[in-house]
Amino acid sequence: MTDRNLSWLFLAPALLVLGGLTVYPALWVLWLSLQYRIPVFSIARWAGLEHYAFLAVDTRFWNAAGVTAVFTVVSVALECGLGLGVALALRGQRHWRRVALALLLLAWALPSVVTAKMFEWLYHPSGGLVNFLLGGRAINWLGDPALALPALIVADVWRTTPFVALLCYARLLTIPPELYEAGQVDGAAGWQAFARITWPLVRPILLVVLLFRTLDALRAFDLMFVLTGGGPAGSTETLTVYAYRALFQTLQVGFGAAIGVVVFALVMLVAVGYLRLINRESRTA
Amino acid sequence: MARRPARAVLLGMPALLLTLIAGGCGERATPGAPVTLVFKHAKILGPADPVPGLLRRFEALHPGVRVRSEALTWSSDEQHQFYAINLEGGSPPFDVMMLDVIWVPEFARAGWILDLTAFVPAAERAAHFPSALEPAVQEGKLWALPWFMNVGLLYYRTDLLAKYGFAPPEAYDELVRQVRRIRAGEGDPRLDGFLWQGKQYEGGMVNVLEALWANGARLLDDAGRPFPEPARARESLAFLRGLIESGVSPGWVTAADEELTRRPFGDGRAIFLRGWPYALDLFELPASPVRGKVGVAPLPRLPHGEVGAGSTGGAHLAVSARTRHQALAVELVRFLTSDAAQRAMTEGAALRPSRPSLYRDAALVARDPSLPALLGLMQRGRPRPITPYYLMLSTTLQPEFSAVLVGRKSPERAIRDATAQVDHLLRAIAP
Repeated sequence: MTDRNLSWLFLAPALLVLGGLTVYPALWVLWLSLQYRIPVFSIARWAGLEHYAFLAVDTRFWNAAGVTAVFTVVSVALECGLGLGVALALRGQRHWRRVALALLLLAWALPSVVTAKMFEWLYHPSGGLVNFLLGGRAINWLGDPALALPALIVADVWRTTPFVALLCYARLLTIPPELYEAGQVDGAAGWQAFARITWPLVRPILLVVLLFRTLDALRAFDLMFVLTGGGPAGSTETLTVYAYRALFQTLQVGFGAAIGVVVFALVMLVAVGYLRLINRESRTA
Repeated sequence: MARRPARAVLLGMPALLLTLIAGGCGERATPGAPVTLVFKHAKILGPADPVPGLLRRFEALHPGVRVRSEALTWSSDEQHQFYAINLEGGSPPFDVMMLDVIWVPEFARAGWILDLTAFVPAAERAAHFPSALEPAVQEGKLWALPWFMNVGLLYYRTDLLAKYGFAPPEAYDELVRQVRRIRAGEGDPRLDGFLWQGKQYEGGMVNVLEALWANGARLLDDAGRPFPEPARARESLAFLRGLIESGVSPGWVTAADEELTRRPFGDGRAIFLRGWPYALDLFELPASPVRGKVGVAPLPRLPHGEVGAGSTGGAHLAVSARTRHQALAVELVRFLTSDAAQRAMTEGAALRPSRPSLYRDAALVARDPSLPALLGLMQRGRPRPITPYYLMLSTTLQPEFSAVLVGRKSPERAIRDATAQVDHLLRAIAP
């Protein structure tokens, strides 16, 4: 057996498992998305691209796509900015660093449904802590279409900033102090030290964090499902919530699969874009 | 060398998966062994869960039979998903199941539940409220029996209404007048007027349906076409939005579910509440600020309606079409929905029976004096549209109705958009 054949033999189990667990279901979903499949009504017939044609003019789909985009861009930007800030602050902190880390982890460790329920009561218009702290105003956080999405973004930022902070903090710890000492000798302090030393070294890890967070945010589901159910007026309905409603709640398997395929394509597109950026980063570094 | 264990894990994974899948398929009864029925239901809340006692009594009546009760998850969406996956997948690991009343036509249409027509005599059916039994009948066949029942109703503060000389309102314009008068008189900015559920979810759908019915409008006509009375439907939606705009209802009802509205009313911070009967027991707890100050009345009507009607809700019991113990499973359903079992449910849990005779039962009324008042409300109750695609309809329409309640769409526009979407839905189902 040649080395080449042997290597395929060694790869085979991994490829089989990946194929069975990832490629096969993905192709099956693609196949379903080309059909009308509603088991309850014994409907199973060919639809071709009709689901996709309907999605192209479906206002609910475009609304969900817009909500997903806004949620992803704003929440990921805030999480990365805040996370990096927290990491820098942690590094500068002299005492109680372990306690701060443990507290940070707490938010990240809570199951998201628990986080969502907690925020439901925080946002309660008459009894909630948020309005109490704002001087007892009755702001209708989750019931006002203009405020519901920002309120959800805040909850998501609260929950995932620690994840960003921890990864950035880990990277900061590995930056040798000599670099800063050398910088200081050359007259780089404060902002300059950050821009010339810290930032270039943190950027690669930040890109990886961005990749993770963006892919997660594009598939955001639990917060909106628990807190608003996608409302009011669909103002917090993301693509995955829409897909869930079609797939599991109303059992329109074919149509739901079509939404799933679109989400999948979107996620792949974004992932490929990020991977290119990361590759370029590692080549220039 | 570090690769070898990794490969072992990868090779082992399919085997592990197969074991998990096989393990998930549930037990197989072996011939000669005692029969085990699996009863799937949501946890029954209340002072004392009567279900275990009832199941033991059933076992005593049927020697050699064991009934295992398995709890469903709490949320209704997850329950529906659980059933759909297990029932569509082939051999469900349960024999008897508790269903939300709105799912019965869907499950019957899908062929997931057993036709009970031949098992249940006419007199036994007639013992339930017609509005409870109606959703369980599809094409002349009976698919489930009612286990307990709910109805939408109006809670009001007896002390406040009496103070200003008001009777419970029969029409909504009266309710609005009473709210204005009482709030002006009390001068308490923390006292809200009329609370109801306007969140984008099934409960919000129920509130909109009740507003449609209150004005003599329907969601579907007899042929299943949407909004047969569009002008009245527009008025109903405009009325709900008007409640918020005029401050009769606080703006936050647009994000409120049952519990978010039940609590402020229970704390004495609202005059009226649209709710379900379960809240009554909570209002009458010893520590409740509104104990002894809460009355129940039918939901009021709007100008074009003859009477207001609350939506019915509640749970039915059905038998899996693939059960291996048909006769026994049907027996269990009949036993649990019987007069004696519903009596036990009424005594032990905060639930109301689907049998009118129990509302006049002296022993039960002595324990729960609200029963005679609830009888009238239950009789006026109206089921949500009885159609196999109700859930599709509801999830399609919820964002449209929510858009009206928060002021994003005019009632005209929402009804136009909703009609277009329902038409699209119907084309997919029946081309």
